[in-house]
Amino acid sequence: MRLPLGALLPALALLGAELGVRAGLVPANLLPPPTAIADALAWLASNGLPGHIAASALRVLAGFAAGALLALPLGALVALQPRAERLLDPSFQALRAIPSLAWVPLLLLWFGIDETPKLVLIAIGAFFPVYMGVVSGIRGVDRKLVEVGRLYRLSQVALARRVLLPAALPAILTGLRNGLSLAWMFMVAAELIAASRGLGYLLTDGRESSRADIMLAAILLLALLGKLSDGAMQLLERRLLAWRDSVGDRGAA
Amino acid sequence: MKRRSLLQLAALSTLPVTAARAAPLDELRLDYAYYSPTSLVLRHFGWLEEEFKGDGTRIKWVLSAGSNRALEYLNANSIDFGSSAGLAALLARANGNPIRTPYIYSRPEWTALVVPKNSPIKSLRDLRGKKVAATKGTDPYLFLLRALHSVGLQRSDIEHVSLQHADGRAALEQGRVDAWAGLDPHMAASELEGGARLLYRNVSFNTYGFLNVREEFLASRPNETARVIKAYERARAWTRANPSEAAKILSNEAKVSLPVALLQVKLRSDFSNPRPGAEHLRALQLAAPILREEALVKPGTDLDKAIASLIDVRFARPLVART
Repeated sequence: MRLPLGALLPALALLGAELGVRAGLVPANLLPPPTAIADALAWLASNGLPGHIAASALRVLAGFAAGALLALPLGALVALQPRAERLLDPSFQALRAIPSLAWVPLLLLWFGIDETPKLVLIAIGAFFPVYMGVVSGIRGVDRKLVEVGRLYRLSQVALARRVLLPAALPAILTGLRNGLSLAWMFMVAAELIAASRGLGYLLTDGRESSRADIMLAAILLLALLGKLSDGAMQLLERRLLAWRDSVGDRGAA
Repeated sequence: MKRRSLLQLAALSTLPVTAARAAPLDELRLDYAYYSPTSLVLRHFGWLEEEFKGDGTRIKWVLSAGSNRALEYLNANSIDFGSSAGLAALLARANGNPIRTPYIYSRPEWTALVVPKNSPIKSLRDLRGKKVAATKGTDPYLFLLRALHSVGLQRSDIEHVSLQHADGRAALEQGRVDAWAGLDPHMAASELEGGARLLYRNVSFNTYGFLNVREEFLASRPNETARVIKAYERARAWTRANPSEAAKILSNEAKVSLPVALLQVKLRSDFSNPRPGAEHLRALQLAAPILREEALVKPGTDLDKAIASLIDVRFARPLVART
């Protein structure tokens, strides 16, 4: 049985933190010991934590879906039609450069403080990595493959489905993975400003009440949930790209 | 020979004493805030810069947008002196923020529950199920909770939206929230210029302006702390003698109109008793249960101990003239 080597670093960090605080080397008001964070998590678990997690997770899912669903066709269009590329791509690149926090005040102004500005922000966050993934994926398809497809007189649709899509899939899936992790990030940015539920709300809660243990509990949960959703994407990726034979694919899928 | 060695001995014995006087501070860091008019007066006239010029100490002023910010900066050792509401300071202290309060900078009525002009909300009970904006970790937020508890409601009976004070006012005036736990000067501005109405007022639910100092700073730099308090006393005396001019300073700094500033300084602030004492201890004791009831502190926290360790009733005694 292989040792979970990946758990070594976090375990060492937690142990170091616990010992550091107990020995008085680290002030507890700046870094609560892991036992205090565990207590906070236990308390939160029976005081609304499932509601907060659900609120954040649903926001991420909805925003990510919206952003990705917009990015897939637009990315394909820009990749396949040179005129569309010349028209749209420069604007998208400029919009992509705007950092998430810069959008927040504008969206708050236009859409208020309810769910709409949060979902729009998350969708913006998810859109660009997926868009970039689709564009570079399709553009990077080997022309020889397309020629073979044409030799077999495949229709446009069949060409897209049987040649372009599988060849572009690795890049598209990478784009989707990045889009998902950015969606989590943009979700926290949205919740930091004006929220009444969610993990970002818990984070500000901890901050405003001088409860560093709640802050760290929220951060820990965000890390865990982000890792979980990324792990799910990884599984999907491995399933869809099982036919691939590259350096990264070690062992049987 | 004997006298010389005696003199040498005397000289040597005074050396440790002079060496024990600590080196002057490089930098003294304080906050200033629109909810603390005397801090604005003090900063405006540069009396602290004047006081510490001889020592070569730089004075650094940091704007605090609310008790929550000032307490956060104190916790992180970014400022030495921070202004906050009393109950907010207690919350912070009870949660491990190492601060003490040697001075009270004002007794204000700075918070109330505000509703927009034509709001259908007429009483506290009407707040059930409504959206209320309040800045977590500040007096307005705790005021809101205490007001709700007074009619049998709880935080979970309303939808609390966490917004900093100025944003809360904007949200109220844009109709995005149904009510707002306001703070002066934003609240006064909203009343006079936005037509907002005060739904619920309660002077005794306002918990004073506490000038907090980091415990470690108070212990290692009592001399500097005393000099800061003396400078604040100078600002307090000037403000009591010149309230309209003080309002003008507030109006310029906070970018509010003069009537708004006058409302805050003249009608809603009392600068007569800066010495922490029984009055302030009592106010916190009455207010403390809300922290436990709304689970803002860890279960099992000894709030009486926190109050006793927060308020320092002795430090300012020799520094404040009885008025």
